[in-house]
Amino acid sequence: MTRFEAMHGLAIKKFGTPAAVADLLGAPPEEVQAGLEAALAEGLAMGAKGAFMLTPKGQQALAAEYPAQFAAHRADPALSAGYERFEAVNTDLKQLITEWQTMTVAGETVPNDHSDADYDNRIIDRLGELHERAEPLLRGLAARLPRLGRYCERLSAALDKAEAGEIAFVSGAKIDSYHTVWFELHEDLLRVLDRSRDD
Amino acid sequence: MQARHTLLLDGASLPARELVGGKAWSLARMRALGLNVPPAFVVTTETCRQFHESGGVMPAGLMDEVMAGVAWLEKTTGRRLGAAQRPLLVSVRSGAPVSMPGMMDTVLNLGMSDDSELALARETGAPGFARDTHRRFCEMFARIVLRAEIGALDPSDGPAGWRAAIAARGCGEVPADPAAQLESAIRAVFHSWNGRRARKYRQHHGVPEAMGTAVTVQAMVFGNSDERSGTGVLFSRNPLTGDPVPYGEYLARAQGEDVVSGSHTPEGLDALARRMPEVHRELLSACAVLERDNGDVQDIEFTVERGRLYLLQARPAKRSPAAAVRCAVDMVREGRIGPPEALSRVSAEQVRLLLRPRLPAGFDPSAASVLARGEAASPGVGAGVVAADADEAERLHALGHAVVLARPTTSPEDVHGMLVAAAIATEKGGSTSHAAVVSRQLGVPCVVGCGEGALAGLAGRMVTVDGTSGRVFEGALPVEQPAAGSDPALAALLEWASAEAPLRVLPAACGVPRATLDLDAIEGGEDPARTAGLLAGTRGASGSVLNTDAGVQAAVEAGLEFIVVREVLPALLAACAARRHAAAAA
Repeated sequence: MTRFEAMHGLAIKKFGTPAAVADLLGAPPEEVQAGLEAALAEGLAMGAKGAFMLTPKGQQALAAEYPAQFAAHRADPALSAGYERFEAVNTDLKQLITEWQTMTVAGETVPNDHSDADYDNRIIDRLGELHERAEPLLRGLAARLPRLGRYCERLSAALDKAEAGEIAFVSGAKIDSYHTVWFELHEDLLRVLDRSRDD
Repeated sequence: MQARHTLLLDGASLPARELVGGKAWSLARMRALGLNVPPAFVVTTETCRQFHESGGVMPAGLMDEVMAGVAWLEKTTGRRLGAAQRPLLVSVRSGAPVSMPGMMDTVLNLGMSDDSELALARETGAPGFARDTHRRFCEMFARIVLRAEIGALDPSDGPAGWRAAIAARGCGEVPADPAAQLESAIRAVFHSWNGRRARKYRQHHGVPEAMGTAVTVQAMVFGNSDERSGTGVLFSRNPLTGDPVPYGEYLARAQGEDVVSGSHTPEGLDALARRMPEVHRELLSACAVLERDNGDVQDIEFTVERGRLYLLQARPAKRSPAAAVRCAVDMVREGRIGPPEALSRVSAEQVRLLLRPRLPAGFDPSAASVLARGEAASPGVGAGVVAADADEAERLHALGHAVVLARPTTSPEDVHGMLVAAAIATEKGGSTSHAAVVSRQLGVPCVVGCGEGALAGLAGRMVTVDGTSGRVFEGALPVEQPAAGSDPALAALLEWASAEAPLRVLPAACGVPRATLDLDAIEGGEDPARTAGLLAGTRGASGSVLNTDAGVQAAVEAGLEFIVVREVLPALLAACAARRHAAAAA
């Protein structure tokens, strides 16, 4: 675990404890802690209540290190191809999450208040199907960059909870919901491959 | 022959829901009420159990009974399965006694073959429709029964091409013989009962493994047969406003899928009243019967075939939060349900949505200057000073300003700024973008897709974002905070819920009693999972976690006397729900 890796994980979390960043990276928490404290000592991160965030200087330093650190990944055609497939599934996921949050009543879009178990169950079914489609693709990404395998585990964990009836784990914004983890993976890929999102 | 595995839904008796599942029970109930539904029979949950107990073998005699059921459908409809004249097509659906995820989707138009397609084309005078029905059947059968990963089949390939394309996936073939199609579909329903998702759901919710799912086989009717045919949907009350007036849509000469796919624009119900007044009258009278029988707003799917009305499905209607409140209160006043039932039909979340800030009723948009327009992504209104990035939003918020986060797009990096924003606006992206998804989750008003550069230069200005109409206005407009007490329907709920709730709910605006534990001041006090432990031994509590259902439930379980919250009614409804939950578990 280098200081760079810890900072990269923190940049995706934006504001997080060493334990949360370690969970994202699939790395030992004490090593992440050491990496973040090194960043803190250099003024690249700041800390409050046991959590860290990058300083503007840290953001710049990280961006400056990306081209060299990720040169091999950026030149890896298999990783780029995997990313393109991820984007295709990403479009479906966003549509699905939107249908989770809203429903059509008499032709108008209204918030889904989750009072219709049939409606919610159908969407959780589709999330399970989407996950089954995404798994091989995520395994392909992890074959090129092993730490990405951790996202697949976290996505499975969120799906498990949603399927067992804890429906906040579909798209809850403040917890490691399927949508939260998926977006972190998206952000990670954008940073590794130097792409930008289109919306 | 004594039927052991199947039951005809002929209205002669009302079978037990445990034996035939929810969907078939509802069809049987409609027949018993004298309403016209397409004939159907059901393979029982008991048969599903035998199938699994024997390790996945179709019980002896089952298919004979199924074919006897088909013979009854044929006799009743005057059609024949797989016939080259007047073909019978059927739907096959799963139906457990309780709703759960992972169960097989419905397969429509089963019985389709090259002969049936020709016959259907002759009968309807619409060869394109018959061909399209054939293709949709092949797609559905491949995807749902064979579980083959296929995309859309190419219409120009024709039936032989479609069947070959499906066979090439290696998951099996679409049988040409309708009886074989039916057997495969029934087997697939049984298998879906033991799918990974269904098993997990049952485990978590304590649904017995032995319950099993039923299989309903029903004759299809055709809303595109002639000019006196069509299809539509009817709500017994307006599902948007809750007005106690039936509301519906009708599409002449069409099938149900046409309505769902949006390929045709339906007309109002008066279109049906003009064309076939007697069918319209019969429909409204069926609607009233069903609402009275179920005691709740009904969503009814119907088809008219050659001037004859068929009811396909009736279930409690999905409704907007406003309609949920209005219908629940109206039905108490009409004497159809009691206050406890009304309280169970309105969720805390629905009331939270209704209590979101909004522009006043008499607001004239032309009196305000519109700075940007986009897609309405999350309803409600929020005003504040514009921050162009999340860090700036956090800084301004910490200084005590109301903040509107306005950015080209948002990403996970921006969530900390979105958490403190009164509203959010973006330049790029639509209703599925990150900004739209997260703002809906957080309950923050949001407008997306205002156009590239549309929000540049707004930083530091005061604006009002209307996430309901998709507009960003200049300045801080007067925003109305709806109050439960000033709306008659909400006021009624407030009164009933106060009487029913197992604890008192006090508004924070009226001050906090001295014996109150402030959860926000305690480490971990914002985590609902830890609330219960922290509350042991206290009389009353306040804190942001009590603005959530999980927090209120923990307070009820901890036996608190009172809680102090921002909004009283949602907390009361959550407390009533927690009490019902506890009663059901006991």
